[in-house]
Amino acid sequence: MASEQINIIGRGITIRGSLSGGGDLVIEGRVEGQVALKNHLTIEQSGTVEADIKADELTINGEASGNIEANTRVAINNTAKVQGDIKSQRVVIEDGAVFNGSIEMDVKLPDDV
Amino acid sequence: MANTIIGSSIVIDGEISGDEDLVIQGTVKGKISLKESLFVEASGVVEADIDTQNVEIAGRVTGNIAASDKVELKSDCRVVGDIKAPRILIADGASFKGNVDMDVKER
Repeated sequence: MASEQINIIGRGITIRGSLSGGGDLVIEGRVEGQVALKNHLTIEQSGTVEADIKADELTINGEASGNIEANTRVAINNTAKVQGDIKSQRVVIEDGAVFNGSIEMDVKLPDDV
Repeated sequence: MANTIIGSSIVIDGEISGDEDLVIQGTVKGKISLKESLFVEASGVVEADIDTQNVEIAGRVTGNIAASDKVELKSDCRVVGDIKAPRILIADGASFKGNVDMDVKER
């Protein structure tokens, strides 16, 4: 076990409450509440997250509902269903993905706009 | 089957439930109820009531433990709380404070 940690919440597991920490996290099960992660969060196709999410980078292949805040990037892949508001520098939505909500990218507008 | 691992940098405050094995290297506060085995590794800190089939503890646990099969306290673990299970093993070097209730009526 090195410092490169991978945390997995498996299919049969449900977590209700708050989840926080560093390291990469893969959710294949169910999480309700709050997620705050310093690194990369992946919600796999079998995963369901009903939580406000804060992470550095987020990849969604499954279902997510709640507000999402990512420092670098949010990727909503074609198997994903996402509901909520997203705030991130870069947001990618693939063809086939379902998304309802608002997106706020950190766009620097010119001063005269 | 994918094993669930809660790594040493992860903190969970709340309730964990499920029907597969769970490995805790990080911190969990609240409640854990599983139909399978729970492993609290040496780096793991659990402040929760635990209700599972099997528990193996090498880390620190504070809370009441109820297992339908077996509870194993490894050496160097620190456990405070009451344990209820048909089979309880305490290894040499383990620290434990609490009541032990072995349910022997099945035999």
